[in-house]
Amino acid sequence: MLENWLEQLRRGTLELAVFLSVAGGPRYGLEIIRHLEEFTDLVLTEGTIYPLLSRLARDGFLTSEWVAGEAPHPRKYYRLTPAGRGRLNNMCREFNVFTTKIERLMKAAGRQV
Amino acid sequence: MKLTDSGESRIRGYLYIFERSLRSFLSTEVAADAVREVESHIRDAVVEAGDVPDERAALERILNRLGPPMRVAQAYSLELVMDEAAATGRFTSVLRSLFHAATTGVIAFLAAFGLFVGYAMATAFIIIAIMKPIFPNNVGFWMTPNGILRSSGVNFPSVRDGLVFHTSYWIIPGALLIGLALLLLTHFLARRWIAWFRNRRKWRLESQ
Repeated sequence: MLENWLEQLRRGTLELAVFLSVAGGPRYGLEIIRHLEEFTDLVLTEGTIYPLLSRLARDGFLTSEWVAGEAPHPRKYYRLTPAGRGRLNNMCREFNVFTTKIERLMKAAGRQV
Repeated sequence: MKLTDSGESRIRGYLYIFERSLRSFLSTEVAADAVREVESHIRDAVVEAGDVPDERAALERILNRLGPPMRVAQAYSLELVMDEAAATGRFTSVLRSLFHAATTGVIAFLAAFGLFVGYAMATAFIIIAIMKPIFPNNVGFWMTPNGILRSSGVNFPSVRDGLVFHTSYWIIPGALLIGLALLLLTHFLARRWIAWFRNRRKWRLESQ
């Protein structure tokens, strides 16, 4: 039961987490995954991050570029587009409002935050 | 970790299955880009693993974390095909999406099957309308002498034992109207279902 609930939470936040991963500058696939693993436990199967990156690129929120020469093999780097940055700003704002309300609710219920 | 020939073969095998799975639904160019990216991921993960005593175990760990090639391919291709169907509403894209979605689970299979039946019935009505002027004596209704409908549509030969053949050219506009209405309704439902399935799928993928 708790696992299902956690899954629902992951569902809603992975896109935001990916945007945040590339907010500081371009990153390639494995770098994004490792960054997410460092701070969260959102990625359970690494291969499924690529269809998500691909969709965000198709939707115009990310751009991608193959870079050769920095490793023995080429890497595909993703960066935020202006539309992606706008979406990230909106998502961060909404997420903050949401968590603030839940924290308030928890405090009202006498739960430690 | 420097890979041996057997390690390289393992990676090539993974990528081969991945590419084959992708190419059944995607263009060569899109599939090649996805394969290149997943190969880059594996190569990076191999470098990251450093020197390990058991290459095979390390490689299996890397590939397991990436996920089975067919599953990763399915996630890629389903997203793309569904995006195209949702964006354009083209019959071919919608049909490809339905076919692809039907392979993902029992409920999706049943829903896709129901929609295929809708398309098939609509096509059958339109074919009846087209065939009537070509085979006027083979398109119509076959009834028992006491007026119970036993068969309708196209029959070769048109004479059937114990049944009376009824026909009229009104069957052309009637069948066309029903066929087109059914086609539009099925297509509308298919697009709605694909949009719902796409969102649900997106959420599921992102939680994995």
